[in-house]
Parts: sequence; structure tokens; C-alpha cells
Amino acid sequence: MQQGWLSNWLVKHEVVHRSLGFDHRGIETLQIKAGDWDSIAVILYVYGYNYLRSQCAYDVAPGGSLASVYHLTRIQYGIDNPEEVCIKVFAQKDNPRIPSVFWIWRSADFQERESYDMVGISYDNHPRLKRILMPESWIGWPLRKDYITPNFYEIQDAH
Amino acid sequence: MNLIEFPLLDQTSSNSVISTTLNDLSNWSRLSSLWPLLYGTSCCFIEFASLIGSRFDFDRYGLVPRSSPRQADLILTAGTVTMKMAPSLVRLYEQMPEPKYVIAMGACTITGGMFSTDSYSTVRGVDKLIPVDVYLPGCPPKPEAVIDALTKLRKKISREIVEDRTLSQNKKRCFTTSHKLYVRRSTHTGTYEQELLYQSPSTLDISSETFLKSKSPVPSYKLVN
Repeated sequence: MQQGWLSNWLVKHEVVHRSLGFDHRGIETLQIKAGDWDSIAVILYVYGYNYLRSQCAYDVAPGGSLASVYHLTRIQYGIDNPEEVCIKVFAQKDNPRIPSVFWIWRSADFQERESYDMVGISYDNHPRLKRILMPESWIGWPLRKDYITPNFYEIQDAH
Repeated sequence: MNLIEFPLLDQTSSNSVISTTLNDLSNWSRLSSLWPLLYGTSCCFIEFASLIGSRFDFDRYGLVPRSSPRQADLILTAGTVTMKMAPSLVRLYEQMPEPKYVIAMGACTITGGMFSTDSYSTVRGVDKLIPVDVYLPGCPPKPEAVIDALTKLRKKISREIVEDRTLSQNKKRCFTTSHKLYVRRSTHTGTYEQELLYQSPSTLDISSETFLKSKSPVPSYKLVN
């Protein structure tokens, strides 16, 4: 597989990663192990990726793993096409732990809380990791593929 | 009201007498100053908000949007009501002074709408929470439909008799389902994510371990600070 320049750069600096190919705009997607993610995030920030454009999470497959996706952009003055990269970090469902990038890109705060709320990825070192959309007392992760909607008693007689 | 244009007050009829009942007079004054609460949770409120503007202009029906429930007579439940929002909606409704009216606006607040089949968080119809006077279907309803619902509500108020209204308010709600729910201690502690899910040491220890194992050439905390 053809490797992008960022993948080559990471290989040159002995950073463990795996290239997942390019999307339709030619932006490279890299897979990074959850254990390496906190240090590699700092490396990417120091390299110049100063803007976390989006963070999201999804359930890959029934019985499979969970993925946390980061879209990074390098914002500079006078640049028309800033460098971009997409990072995917996978975590096992039985113990989904991924280091938080809140202390590097502060905009990850609510987005990691939403990922925690919906698919149940536990972000280590996040300052206030708790539910953001669902009620505090909710049990379960609603956007996982194996989630079963709980039966709740509706009031049968309306007003 | 401009006195010159008021048709009943011309030179010939200025001394005439109008006979009515106090009930009708009270109803008439209430229906011509229905103050709605500014309440909206999603797209229905966009349609409702266009009524405030000059094109649909619901001020001509005496509707002045109020931001406090204590000054409002009417609540249009514009938008999906989730189970997280439901206590707040009931609280807003209970803070409104009597007499108060509810228009269930949109499919979501009538039956749950497109969320009624498999949603885990939507209240299936706002009439499970508060008594509804007018059901206004649509997804979302057009502003003209809102005006139509207001006209129907005004018609309903104009026929109202004060004793009936107080009787219907005091009627007991009866529950046909004998559910087996029972109240438990609140799990809202702020630290539930460790208690409920992960029986493991604190997050600080684990992350420092993984950090030391990783082969980063530069320590991250130096770079961040």
C-alpha cells in the first residue's frame, strides 16, 4: 500500500502506527494503538496539528471493537489547503480505555464526553467524564450495536 | 383600539347598552390576551418563532410571548420532549398560573412522531405529562396551522364555564397499569462511571503506566506545558 508522507515521517521517527489508506480527498487515515495514543497525540501537536476538527466514536461491528476518530488540521497563516490527518484508535469492548486528548486539544472536552455517553469509551485523564446527553442515572451505552432498548412503563391513560 | 374606527362607537349608538354575562366577558378578555410561554425544544419552535415576526404576527391575536412561566397562560410544546426534559416541562407547566392551556404542537408531542417506534429517550406524547387542550399535527406544522390551532383554542375558551374548568382540573387521574416500579436511592453521585462499570484503580495510575511504556522520544508533559 502506498504510504503517505505523514506515515513515512512517523516511520522515520519510529512511531508505531498503521496506515488505513486514504479517503476520497486524499487524506490519510492512521490507526494508532490506544497505549501509544497519548504520546503520539503530543507528537502530532508539536508537529503542528493545532486544531482538533472533530472527535467522534462508533461501534465497529457487533461483537467487535469500538473506535474513536480524531480529525486533525494544521492551521497556519496564509495556507489555502492545510494539512489534515485522520486518526483512529480502537478499543476492546470489555475494557474500552483510550487516553484523553483534552489536555492537548481542549475542544475534545464535550466531544469525548459525548463519545463516553453514547458508546461508553472511558477516556483516561478526562477531567469530568460523565454523561452529557442522557440522564445521569442512565445505565448502558445507547449507540452500541448490542444495546437493547429497555422496556419502560408508559402511562397508559393520558390526561 | 382606535376609537374612531370602532364600528359600535359612532354618533348614533354611543348610548347603547350591550348585555352579556360575566362569564362571557371573562372568557372574552382571557381569549384575547393569551400569553404563550417561550418554550421550544427543536424544529417546531422555528415555525413558532416565525409567528413572532411581522409576516404571521400573532400579536394581533393578543399573543405576547413571555419568558417567565408565571406570566404565561398558554404553552405550545414545540418540539420533541425527551425523558430528560420531561421533569422540566412539568415543572414549567406547574409554575404557570390558572387558567392555563396547552397546545401539543407537532407529531413528536402528540405521539412521539418518528421517534415513537424505537427511541430510548422520547416521551410518547406530551399528554402523558400534562393535559392538552388542542392537538396540532404536522412535522413541523406551518405557521398558518398554528394560527388555526389558536383559533380553535380561542373558540374553546369562549365556550368555557368557570365551574367546569375547575372541576376538570380536580379530576383524579386513574392508572390502569399496576406497574411494579419502586423508588430507589439516586445514582447521581458524579463519580458513577468508576463505581458502575470499571472495578479498577484510578485513572491517573493507569495512564502514567501506559505513558511510561510508550516509546515517545520526548516526554509529553514537557511539550504540553
